[in-house]
Amino acid sequence: MEAGNPLLDDYVLSLAASRKRSALPSARGSTSSRPRVCFLPTASGDADHYIVRFYRHFATRCDASHVSLFRRDREGVEGNFAGHLLSQDLIYVGGGNLVSLLGTWRAHGLHSVLRRAWRQGVVLCGPSAGSLCWFAEALTAFHSAPFRVQGLGLLPYSNCVHYGAEPARREEYRRFVGDGMQPGYAADDGAALHFRGKELAQAVSSRPHAQAYRVEPIGGEVIETPLAMTYLGAPVRELASA
Amino acid sequence: MSEREVVAEDRRTILALGGGGFTMEPGNPALDELVLSLTAVREPRILFLPTASGDPAAQINAFRARFGGRHCVAAQLSLFSLHGMDRSLDEIVAEQDVIYAGGGSMRNLLAIWRAHGLDKLLIDAWERGTVLAGISAGAMCWFDGGVTRSSGPPEPIEGLGVLPGSLSVHADGEPERLPVWLDAVRSGALPGGWAADDGVGLLFRGRQFERAVSSRPGAAALRVDAVEGELVRQRIEPELLGVGGSPALESDAIIELRQVQRLRQSRR
Repeated sequence: MEAGNPLLDDYVLSLAASRKRSALPSARGSTSSRPRVCFLPTASGDADHYIVRFYRHFATRCDASHVSLFRRDREGVEGNFAGHLLSQDLIYVGGGNLVSLLGTWRAHGLHSVLRRAWRQGVVLCGPSAGSLCWFAEALTAFHSAPFRVQGLGLLPYSNCVHYGAEPARREEYRRFVGDGMQPGYAADDGAALHFRGKELAQAVSSRPHAQAYRVEPIGGEVIETPLAMTYLGAPVRELASA
Repeated sequence: MSEREVVAEDRRTILALGGGGFTMEPGNPALDELVLSLTAVREPRILFLPTASGDPAAQINAFRARFGGRHCVAAQLSLFSLHGMDRSLDEIVAEQDVIYAGGGSMRNLLAIWRAHGLDKLLIDAWERGTVLAGISAGAMCWFDGGVTRSSGPPEPIEGLGVLPGSLSVHADGEPERLPVWLDAVRSGALPGGWAADDGVGLLFRGRQFERAVSSRPGAAALRVDAVEGELVRQRIEPELLGVGGSPALESDAIIELRQVQRLRQSRR
């Protein structure tokens, strides 16, 4: 949902459409040919402006919905939100505060629902806190110096976002990985890491110079290896099957 | 972390609102003025926690509108926005005279406070004399339990247990809560406690209920206990607060002090 730049949205929608085609008819949840996309704005406290932005970007292109965990009594999907999430082709988790996100999810049983969705092949994506949450460990910064947080652990790595934009974060992440945090992946704004199962399939970007890195300790030193990036603005072949 | 000393039980204060205050009564400042009067500090620092609703701008604006022009230092604490805060939560909490928790989802409120360790900081602040106030979810959270609509239909939920007993809010405004609460008290799922109408505040000193106040004529509170499986109900008549202040609770000395302070500020 970058302003004026639909490249990453196009990319995840292509993954959702591909998932839609491959899913068993019984798992499709609806007869519509459009992919089903559900927005989880929890990390922002279900901020109205963010929900509006989601619909603005997605509503014309897919069956868009959102689940609100702050206004469950009066807005969004009512009742069986677990069933709703499991019937999606794509679950889009918005950015915000990672600690608040994970605490709220745990209180509503979302941890296990999202794990099930992932196992069933629902595409999961998100920027910032919506990226960090899928990993075993994440570096987050809030009301203090950056610190380590345990995520859902679907991906057995660590993750750091806003890498190029916040030099302090980059430095702290490298220090944490050197101190025993799991090796992992760091991404600049506009860079995205696409995993199939637990393996990195490719790194893509919506900005020509956005970069992602593998960060790991090698021989007592923390090594930052730039990943080969596919810039989505250039002609790209077979995105969905990459 | 706080440099403030732990205070005696009877100097620990919580005002639990069944409804009302700046988020529900834009034209009636009586309960919010009472909140400010509960601290003896001349220019109290008041911190709003809009966590339970996800920090909505409307609540924050209402808080600013109500307290911005009064003789206090008003600020809000966001647990969602990433920017603008470079101080630790314990530093921020420790310097407050009043902490006011807003309404919304009690389940989310407690989960998020616990995830950040804020629940412990707030209880610590209460033990050191910071006045705690709250409406709806932000009122029930201090008790052993309450009735929440966090998942849609009303259901019992455990609270922080700072205050003994349970609280049910909006007894008149959301009548569907009351039967759920009464059933929970009868069955023992929740301990006995209070139900408060919109506009009613329950004032606690330490863990003792002191009195009920109200910003609306006709509003009341209810004390309910289960005795051998039967509910025993007792209506509590609140003291009606005058619009524009609470002379009964705010001492003349503090009012005068605030006036002097205002004068001195305006001369600067």
